[in-house]
Amino acid sequence: MLRWIVLLLVSALAALPAGPAGKVFPYAYDQHDFPNGLRLITIPTDYPNVVSVFIVVQTGSRNEVEPGKSGFAHLFEHLMFRGTATFPTARYEAVLKSMGAASNAYTTDDHTAYHTTFSREDLETVLRMEADRFQNLDYSREKFRTETLAVLGEYNKNSANPISKLEEVLRDTAFDRHTYKHTTMGFLRDIEDMPNQFDYSRQFFDRYYRPEYTTIVVAGDVQPQAVRALVEKYWGGWKRGSYQVAVPAEPPQSGPRTNHIDWPTPTLPWVTVSFHGPAYSDERKEQAALDLISYLGFSESSDLYQKLVIQQQTVDELEADNPDRVDPCLFTVFARVKKPAEMDAVRDDILAAVNSFREKPVDAARLEAVKRHLRYAFALSMNNSEAVAGSVARFVALRRTPETINRLYEVYDSITPQDIQAVAQKYFSDSSRTIVTLTGGKAQ
Amino acid sequence: MKPLWVAALLMSSTVLAAAPPQVVALPSKSPLVTFRFVFLTGAAADPAGKPGVAALTAAMLAEGGTRTMTYKQIVDALFPMAASVSEQVDQEMITFSGTTHVDNLEAYYSLLRTMLLEPGWRQEDFVRLRDDAVNFLRVSLRGNNDEELGKEVLYNQIYAGHPYGHHDLGAVSALERMTVADLQQFYREHFTQSSLVIGLAGGYPEGFLQRVEADFRRLPVGTGREGGVLPAPRAIQGLRMLMVEKNTRSVAYSIGFPIDVRRGDPDYAALLLAQTYFGQHRLSGGRLYERMREVRGLNYGDYAYIEYFPRGMFQFEPDPNLARRQQIFQIWIRPVGPPTAHFALRLAMYELDKLIREGISEENFERTRMFLTKYVNLLMKTKRAELGYAIDSRFYGIPDYSTYLRSALAKLTVADVNQAIRKHLRATDLLIVVVARNCEELKKQFLAGAPSPMTYNSPKPQQILDEDRIVERWKLDLKPENITIVPVDSVFE
Repeated sequence: MLRWIVLLLVSALAALPAGPAGKVFPYAYDQHDFPNGLRLITIPTDYPNVVSVFIVVQTGSRNEVEPGKSGFAHLFEHLMFRGTATFPTARYEAVLKSMGAASNAYTTDDHTAYHTTFSREDLETVLRMEADRFQNLDYSREKFRTETLAVLGEYNKNSANPISKLEEVLRDTAFDRHTYKHTTMGFLRDIEDMPNQFDYSRQFFDRYYRPEYTTIVVAGDVQPQAVRALVEKYWGGWKRGSYQVAVPAEPPQSGPRTNHIDWPTPTLPWVTVSFHGPAYSDERKEQAALDLISYLGFSESSDLYQKLVIQQQTVDELEADNPDRVDPCLFTVFARVKKPAEMDAVRDDILAAVNSFREKPVDAARLEAVKRHLRYAFALSMNNSEAVAGSVARFVALRRTPETINRLYEVYDSITPQDIQAVAQKYFSDSSRTIVTLTGGKAQ
Repeated sequence: MKPLWVAALLMSSTVLAAAPPQVVALPSKSPLVTFRFVFLTGAAADPAGKPGVAALTAAMLAEGGTRTMTYKQIVDALFPMAASVSEQVDQEMITFSGTTHVDNLEAYYSLLRTMLLEPGWRQEDFVRLRDDAVNFLRVSLRGNNDEELGKEVLYNQIYAGHPYGHHDLGAVSALERMTVADLQQFYREHFTQSSLVIGLAGGYPEGFLQRVEADFRRLPVGTGREGGVLPAPRAIQGLRMLMVEKNTRSVAYSIGFPIDVRRGDPDYAALLLAQTYFGQHRLSGGRLYERMREVRGLNYGDYAYIEYFPRGMFQFEPDPNLARRQQIFQIWIRPVGPPTAHFALRLAMYELDKLIREGISEENFERTRMFLTKYVNLLMKTKRAELGYAIDSRFYGIPDYSTYLRSALAKLTVADVNQAIRKHLRATDLLIVVVARNCEELKKQFLAGAPSPMTYNSPKPQQILDEDRIVERWKLDLKPENITIVPVDSVFE
């Protein structure tokens, strides 16, 4: 009976296609460049009534090159809600409210995104209000200083979670010169000094909130020509800037590094193992191959997960993070360990799993299963207009076009077990490794 | 058009579901198919002395092996489809959900069906999942998330001695004593046809839904919706405060009291409008947010609720299928720095008092009504959510949620809202939960009641400074016997 069911299942799986038919990004879209450097990407979807606008500015904590200014891109995300002469904060909020719109923003290493989701009849109002604040933001010194306290409040609410601290220490340990040394939140000392940086904040706006840094993504129940006309009307007069940031390159790491965090309250220990990796690319295989390794080696279906989480049950969370970034960043394996005494063994198991990719090519069938997983995961994530715009925004921040998604998945498809081994041999070297651990304090 | 279409479907599916299980179907041309299997049982049905049985039973189904497959085999089978089966457990609903691309529908459904109908009950799965539940309570909630901790302690305390009186995942000591036999018994008694609502949405083929229904008729018939009559929660007398002592940077507050309003009640739309005006979740237009964060920079945000909304720091919209017969009104004050903690609490209480005394203006009423009338579209932006809301509407006995809410809002007047505020909200007889370091010190401050003036890093308009003079002296009618301090390690134990 058992064998019969398993056989049935295996044959059902063997019949699965390699992924959803057609291009992985399935929508026809309109991509248009305005003379001032602004780019508009309009994506009509099948989801009725709703429209989602993501405005992506290609500046993030990567751009915070001056000492003492970490966290500024994120602070600026907050300041963008502080109003203009035409739409002071209260009026801006009132209009959003009367539209029933959901509006928010986020900041990452490489970009800042402002997003609003609303009913289609309000598209013009949204594009007009957004154009106004991107061109005419006007906040007082007093509002600036008050808003810096909300940022400190955000740091405070994050500070109860050891993951925030782990990321902070990991970046600080692994990087020497590149701005990825600090997290998007920034160093606490810089956050505390933000109230004194009003003038710099105006300079930051002048440098980066410019059309050549900005891409507008509109997805939902829309017509591209109509959207183009509205963007021309409200954003066409925006002046191009000239600033170009020089982000210091990270020199190669010259030897393994470690660090440890004593967390003040009881928590489960963490072990993280990182290696310097490549930048995002939709042409070269390296970053894409590391993505595949993150699933092959450390996802729920990996041998290591099976050993540590399911069989030995010494770990309750295991995953690898290989973020797509403009500049080379870190490939990191995170494990939450159930007992401090098991941390060394878990670390050694992670290192052994990493080494196995260097030593022999991976099983071809497993590699195909991961590629299929990635295609279906992307298809499943496209389940509403906001999700479509949000996914595109993430890629637009890197290459300013949704086409990069299709190109990236073509790169995934081209990767062989030998490519995986070659990439592991290049990037998983002891000299570029950083291990950060965290253990909790005693109960009170 | 859409609401009518959905309503028509609901009506037709009601006919289909003359015999249990109930069915809610939302067919479409989407290449994705979404399942929601909702059992109308939950943590409130945990056997006496065994809080956590319902949640662990659900975890064994969604994250354990089946009779014929180990959990590893299930994960390996699901992985190429990028699909999963998730469980959500609340007091009166247990939900198993998942979405698959239609390419993989047969393979996915055969796994899902087997997981729900033929659980494996392996000891190794049990030990792993029990560890996960204990670590969630001790580490993720108690150790690493002061805000969610405050909210859950508020619910625990308001419902002490009531079927809702424990966390959905249980309590540590009970989990440690639990056995697989406890779970098997719960499964036999509560996972029945008559407690099941099958939700299906997306591009599934003709005849598929009928097959699913037939498959789930293998469950015992059962006796219908569970729970009997829920007792009323204990009345809160005066201002009560529960302080959770924890080594933390900031002070987190959750404030609340039971309300007698839920979806379907005549005052639901009025109270929802009041809550939206006062503190719409994670949006910047709310009154509390404006007065506490925008004007005074006290913290990262401040919100209000009339329905259970867990995991709010991770998401903008509430998860569906957390329907409850009893709800509380709740204020969530995100962590504030210790020097301004007393002022922040006073300001929140001052604003609540003001809302009750002055109500909402005509202008704010119209604006908020317009917001909700359109915002309801966004709540239904995925098929997953639309399906979840449709199932909740069954629970509450209302038409589909957007039709229900829009029609109730259309009839509403500002007088209705202000009357509902006065009838259901109050600034006394409530519980304040505080998560902080040096609770004894803070308690002394609260009891002494001395002014707690604000200082700002920039000039403020006179109007704000004048208001501060009132707020800094706002009387919190706390008595020593009504303040309890507990160490964080005792919570959820």
